[in-house]
Amino acid sequence: MTKQADVIIIGGGATGAGVARDCALRGIKALLLERGDIATGATGRNHGLLHSGARYAVTDRESAEECIKENMILRRIASHCVEETDGLFLSLPEDGLEFQAKFIEACRAAGIRADAIDPKEALRLEPSANPAMIGAVRVPDGAVDPFRLTMANLIDAKAHGAEVLTYHKVTELIREQDRIVGVKAVDCRSGEKKEFRAEIVVNAGGIWGHDLAAMAGVTVKMLPAKGSLLIFGHRVNNIVLNRCRKPADADILVPGDTISLIGTTSSKVPFDEVDNMYVTADEVDLLLREGTKLAPSLAHTRILRAYAGVRPLVASDDDPSGRSVSRGIVVLDHATRDGLEGFITITGGKLMTYRLMAEWTVDLICKKLNINKKCTTAECKLPGSREKEEKISKRLHSVPVAQRESAINRHGEMAERLDVGDAAARSLVCECEEVSVGEVKYALNELDVHNLVDLRRRTRVGMGTCQGELCACRAAGIMAEAGKYCSHQAKQDLVSFLNERWKGMAPVAWGDTLRESEFTMWLYDGVCGLKNEKTE
Amino acid sequence: MRFDTVIIGGGLAGLICGIRLAKQGERCAIISLGHSALHFSSGSLELLGALPDGSTVVSPADALDALRQMAPEHPYARYSRERFLALAAEGATLMQEAGVATFGSAEQNHYRLTPVGAMKPAWLTFEGYVHSPNADSLPWKNVALFNAEGFLDFYAQFLKDEMLRMGTKCAAYTFNLPELEQIRQNPTEMRSANIARIFDKRETLDKLADIIAAKMDDAEAILLPAVLGVDCKDGVRYLEQKLGRKVAVIATLPPSVPGLQVQTLLRRYFQELGGVYMLGDTAVGYKSEGNKITAVYTRNHGDIPFLATNYVLATGSFFSGGLEATNDRICEPLFGADVQYVADRGEWYDRDLFKPQAYESFGVKTDELLRAMRQGQVIDNLYVAGATLPGFNAVKEGCGAGVSILTALDVAERILSKK
Repeated sequence: MTKQADVIIIGGGATGAGVARDCALRGIKALLLERGDIATGATGRNHGLLHSGARYAVTDRESAEECIKENMILRRIASHCVEETDGLFLSLPEDGLEFQAKFIEACRAAGIRADAIDPKEALRLEPSANPAMIGAVRVPDGAVDPFRLTMANLIDAKAHGAEVLTYHKVTELIREQDRIVGVKAVDCRSGEKKEFRAEIVVNAGGIWGHDLAAMAGVTVKMLPAKGSLLIFGHRVNNIVLNRCRKPADADILVPGDTISLIGTTSSKVPFDEVDNMYVTADEVDLLLREGTKLAPSLAHTRILRAYAGVRPLVASDDDPSGRSVSRGIVVLDHATRDGLEGFITITGGKLMTYRLMAEWTVDLICKKLNINKKCTTAECKLPGSREKEEKISKRLHSVPVAQRESAINRHGEMAERLDVGDAAARSLVCECEEVSVGEVKYALNELDVHNLVDLRRRTRVGMGTCQGELCACRAAGIMAEAGKYCSHQAKQDLVSFLNERWKGMAPVAWGDTLRESEFTMWLYDGVCGLKNEKTE
Repeated sequence: MRFDTVIIGGGLAGLICGIRLAKQGERCAIISLGHSALHFSSGSLELLGALPDGSTVVSPADALDALRQMAPEHPYARYSRERFLALAAEGATLMQEAGVATFGSAEQNHYRLTPVGAMKPAWLTFEGYVHSPNADSLPWKNVALFNAEGFLDFYAQFLKDEMLRMGTKCAAYTFNLPELEQIRQNPTEMRSANIARIFDKRETLDKLADIIAAKMDDAEAILLPAVLGVDCKDGVRYLEQKLGRKVAVIATLPPSVPGLQVQTLLRRYFQELGGVYMLGDTAVGYKSEGNKITAVYTRNHGDIPFLATNYVLATGSFFSGGLEATNDRICEPLFGADVQYVADRGEWYDRDLFKPQAYESFGVKTDELLRAMRQGQVIDNLYVAGATLPGFNAVKEGCGAGVSILTALDVAERILSKK
């Protein structure tokens, strides 16, 4: 089968989703192909920090300026994905105060509000902060939910005519002379081979964009850098905590929903590891050691899981050795760069600048397609962020309070689409995260859910302290009943889901985390008799 | 407070040990937080379902030699076939005496039907639960399955499909009752124990019987989730009489109603025998002299010591708090007893949750007589029973309940024989 679109976007991270939305809002017919679920690469595997840009102010002015601009835009257009927490940059005795002066000056130069405050005041604002600090600077950092952000972009893209196909892996770029005219892809769930044609193909594959470029016969040299993070079992801090020093390992602690996150480490990894990364014991120890310097109570806080993402660092074009790395936005028009028409690579940048990356990309697309339409994504609010929480809350007054707040927090005004009309629909699937049957069904019907991990990303099922002990099985039962898959597939999906949870738990499986894991194993292996058919 | 024996931990091992001792007139106390592995019981107790190499066990007694060869440190490895069978028989008898009616034998496993429709080997299955002599078939060709509407911890679709695969046709229905509507008003309440409580009333069972009678058609057996009463334990029998059909239940996800019932029955029996059950209490400290424990202190009793001639450690493994893991070691938190484990944390786990996890076989080191060791020395009067012991994998070998019961009885006998 062959399908036609104006633009094919490869990659369902924040950037790809942003490009799809921007295209759709400018009337360009976009088709997005993602090999797995959305936001599964670097997008979903970082701090979830709404950077103020302060972190880059001293070392990378350009990035800092981009960050603060986008920070302010996201607060406006994606309010249901953003938590306005503010951030503190702490100077510890070992850091000294020398950097602080330079830091404040650089922030202000980049347009970032940066106020030095008394350490006592800082401790009052954020009691979890290290009381040994000798200085503190307050900046407009925040927290952003990368998954919600990506989802909201795609919901809006689809509402404006874009098509999104998850679990579609691109196997070949179709080249006719000096032009890319489409792609061949395989539907990973059915195995069906498909062909899609378009005027322009956008490579938004993150680290996997390296291989996509090679498929097109051009070279984009990328350097996979692994960053590991730890998630703590409750919200330790309410304000983002940073170290006031040159960026280093494990120096950011970000609160998000019900948890806090510390990260990251940074190490080069070979390409053959990027699809399946494990956090090592050394990385865990380092993150803990450094993390307790920001917030000493982390030493006694339960760690829920450890995970790692890959930063798609791009080697500068003028330095093929890869030693000179750009952290800025890289838009490559392969027509001018390599003489290959119809192919654009968008890479570099960061989650914070996904919208700007999309804007630049779609500007280029418009130029190529002779379309004269301005970008509106900095003004148009994303679905979920279009109404005030209080208003939505009033309309959903019959839903129990905790459930209502969780649903609105996750879906904004789209929470109204949840079927929670009767008691059965309000019954809870996941107690930790207050996920109702109605919310699960909404996700199954409207948000491209094909398995339990997809469902988790959209509803937080299984992300609480129990890590899916009972809710996973309940959700699998609902999916099987909804006809999403047969019961045999449902059980194997349950096995995969539990193993996906275990992957994050194993590096930190001691204390209560080991207790939960032991219980999960007794329950699913022992009581239920589930088996992993992949290994048997 | 002075006792002959103080047992720390009120799960299956602690209770069985206490019952056995109390029957001989020993003055016993059990200190228990009230939670135990019984709370997620499957409706069956297992003795030995598989060998460490994964091969299925048909007869636990016959498999002992092979087990001994593969796992010389397994708690069962110390028993001869005769001793093993005698301990198992005694355990089964104690259960009957406590009022827990069961089916099964230590010489031949049967199979239970799990909440997701798998068949697993079992030793003793509680009365009224679905079981079969074969791993790949049920005793009926045509059944009707009834689940409470909106009850998410029971998987009718999975069960139906698996039964069909085993050659049993299954019609699945849901039922609703006014009593369920009340529970449903609170989103967290549709759980097994809450549903079971509504069936403690005969009139609710009568209503259920009417619903089933209207739909059961020619089904040979009526199957239900195990929620037919908590205090009232004859729900299955009552429905059978009313319907004139075979009725059987299948375990749900936790909390396990049969587990709660068994725990209550065992505790009651222990108390009838004169035992003291300190519910909601937990041991927090001890005193020792030389190689003897002289006192145990608990959270609720402050500086009032529990004095005893012998002490039994039946505190379970990690989940129950009998063992504690930090990022660099595993310890037994109460007495600081020696723990058998691998030093390198990386080796505690397998990346596949469904493969044997090494940490499962960690436990407190003992001598041949099941007395705990500390700093390489035997503690003369501290015995270890159940999941706190090392050398076995309760889940993979399907031997958790068996190890608890057999070692608890073994410990009791050793204490009695010291007299």
